[in-house]
Amino acid sequence: MGRRSFLLLAGASLALGGCVSTRQYTDVEFEPPQGNYSLIVMRPDVQVGSISTGGLFEARADWTEQSRANLLRALADQQAGRGGRTRIMETRDAVKGVAPELVADLERLHNAVGNSIVLHKYVGARLPTKRRGIDWTLGEDAVRFGRATGMDYALFLYAQDSFASTGRVAMQVLGLAGCFVGFCAPVGGGSQTAFASLVDLKTGDVVWFNVLQSQQGDVRTPEGSAQMVERLLGRMRAGRNIRERQQ
Amino acid sequence: MTDLLTRRALLGGFGCACCAGLAGVAEARISPHAMKPLITSGYRPTEKDEQGLWQQYERVEHEIAGSNLLVQDKALTSYVGELTERVGGPAAKDLRIYLAHIPEFNAFMAPTGFMVVFTGLLTRMRDEAQLAGVIAHEAGHFLRRHHIRGWRDLRRKSDVLSILAMGAGVGGGAAGVYLGDAVRLAEMGTILSLFSYSRELEAEADAMGLKLISEAAYDPLAMPETWQQLIEEVEASARMRKKRPHRGYSLFATHPAPASRMTDLRASSREVTAASGPQARGRDRFLKAIAAHRSGFLDDQVKLNDPGASLYIIENLAKDGWNGLLRFYEAEVWRLRGEKGDDLRAAQGYAAAVAYPDAPPEAWRNHGYAVQKAGRREEAKAALSRYLALAPKATDAPMIRFSLAQ
Repeated sequence: MGRRSFLLLAGASLALGGCVSTRQYTDVEFEPPQGNYSLIVMRPDVQVGSISTGGLFEARADWTEQSRANLLRALADQQAGRGGRTRIMETRDAVKGVAPELVADLERLHNAVGNSIVLHKYVGARLPTKRRGIDWTLGEDAVRFGRATGMDYALFLYAQDSFASTGRVAMQVLGLAGCFVGFCAPVGGGSQTAFASLVDLKTGDVVWFNVLQSQQGDVRTPEGSAQMVERLLGRMRAGRNIRERQQ
Repeated sequence: MTDLLTRRALLGGFGCACCAGLAGVAEARISPHAMKPLITSGYRPTEKDEQGLWQQYERVEHEIAGSNLLVQDKALTSYVGELTERVGGPAAKDLRIYLAHIPEFNAFMAPTGFMVVFTGLLTRMRDEAQLAGVIAHEAGHFLRRHHIRGWRDLRRKSDVLSILAMGAGVGGGAAGVYLGDAVRLAEMGTILSLFSYSRELEAEADAMGLKLISEAAYDPLAMPETWQQLIEEVEASARMRKKRPHRGYSLFATHPAPASRMTDLRASSREVTAASGPQARGRDRFLKAIAAHRSGFLDDQVKLNDPGASLYIIENLAKDGWNGLLRFYEAEVWRLRGEKGDDLRAAQGYAAAVAYPDAPPEAWRNHGYAVQKAGRREEAKAALSRYLALAPKATDAPMIRFSLAQ
């Protein structure tokens, strides 16, 4: 094998590794927020780090802080483009008049509900009674939270991005080079995982849910963050009933 | 290339890697005197990997701090906090303690300096020295920077493994042999050596903890005692369920085998005892601090439906003397098990409990029902009246008042 073809191959492996997928579910009566609305982002959870040679994720505090700021700015810009006003809830006691316990309860409830959405919509344990759209609610607590904050929607957001360390990139190259001698070992590099869950605070219902997985992008840069926000939240689809009526 | 990379050479190489891993299982005892704290008060991480770890744990702490499982009683939490300050070494002031209402024997230390203590630990401790030993062990993890050291070890070993695996694959492919088995063997070796490193850290925390409690003038023998108790509890639990004891120890266990750990702790205790002055057990202080909670803790335990463990815990506490509370919960274990003859065992227990001046009101009630069942109506009436006098506002008081009036 010539040196040139090896390098080409290595380059191709790194470039071709990039695939992006999102899968969203909506309440059948969901209409993407438009015009004059307000959105509160619940203690967004962002983690950015590197992948060691052996494939372990290692968080980096500086990358995480930078990316978090980028993502939140991109999110606010994007929502403003639709007419929305965004507020970030940094800590549980950030909103006056709302007990931190209520926020904690709501977060825990959303955690349970979100896991159940993932289990029954994404993992494949389908429920015969929950076929159309998503049909989950956070109930009265969320409505009370909406009344206390004066917000229309709550957004729960999680994002992780990772980058292959130098050692890991070498492993990726080697793994592909091995194909020539009959030992193909595709090695995973960095990747993005994110999910967003939108709760209508007038009803307490989870109205929209999206999961993003991507092998490309870099949330450490403002452009990369804007790209992730666009992929995750940019193509919000209306609910099935709404679409059927429109047709 | 084919000359260099024969299957045999590779297998031999991996074999050595495995032996190196296995050799770590039988560690030598670490002397408490050799343990020096690696951090001082106000420590902040300066390296990238540790900063990342801290940031992740800050969020974890936020979650725990807002948990609804935390014990809210300020008196009890500040007691545990003050004890931690006494045995927490140079960084004691930086440690944050969260007391979680979970009836299990456990406590853990986060790399950022917060510690979670389960109430099940307080249920089992006979005195302050025993509790101090567990807290000092956890503080030892923090003072010796075990989290980041463990992580770096894991990262290094997984790096080496993946390089070896890739080398074996590519090299083996070129040589025309399949080396999957050898790679799996090396994987095993890596996993084994990871756990042995973790056991080494546990042994370090034991040694550090012993040093800390003896410096705070607690009896260091309290630490091996705690381990002895845990082994015996696990065995007692299994015996009553007619199962073989699961010792919580296998090749993969992250903690040293309890028996060898205890032997090391005893030897180390003698070492530090020789050097230190008077030693306290602090039993009265401990009992006073948990007084308001002990019955609740025991109640949690007996309701776990693990009669062997519950009886062991109660009998172990009774080594310092029986009282009404312990006799009552001993009887409760039998009543809740409810097998043939258990009602009589329970009845005897309630009768024994009410002979003590500190018998809880419920002991009088259950004693009353037990003697009523035996046909001793007058005695039953007296016992139930006593219950009503002690707990006039109990939820079942109106019902009992009604039946007494019949």
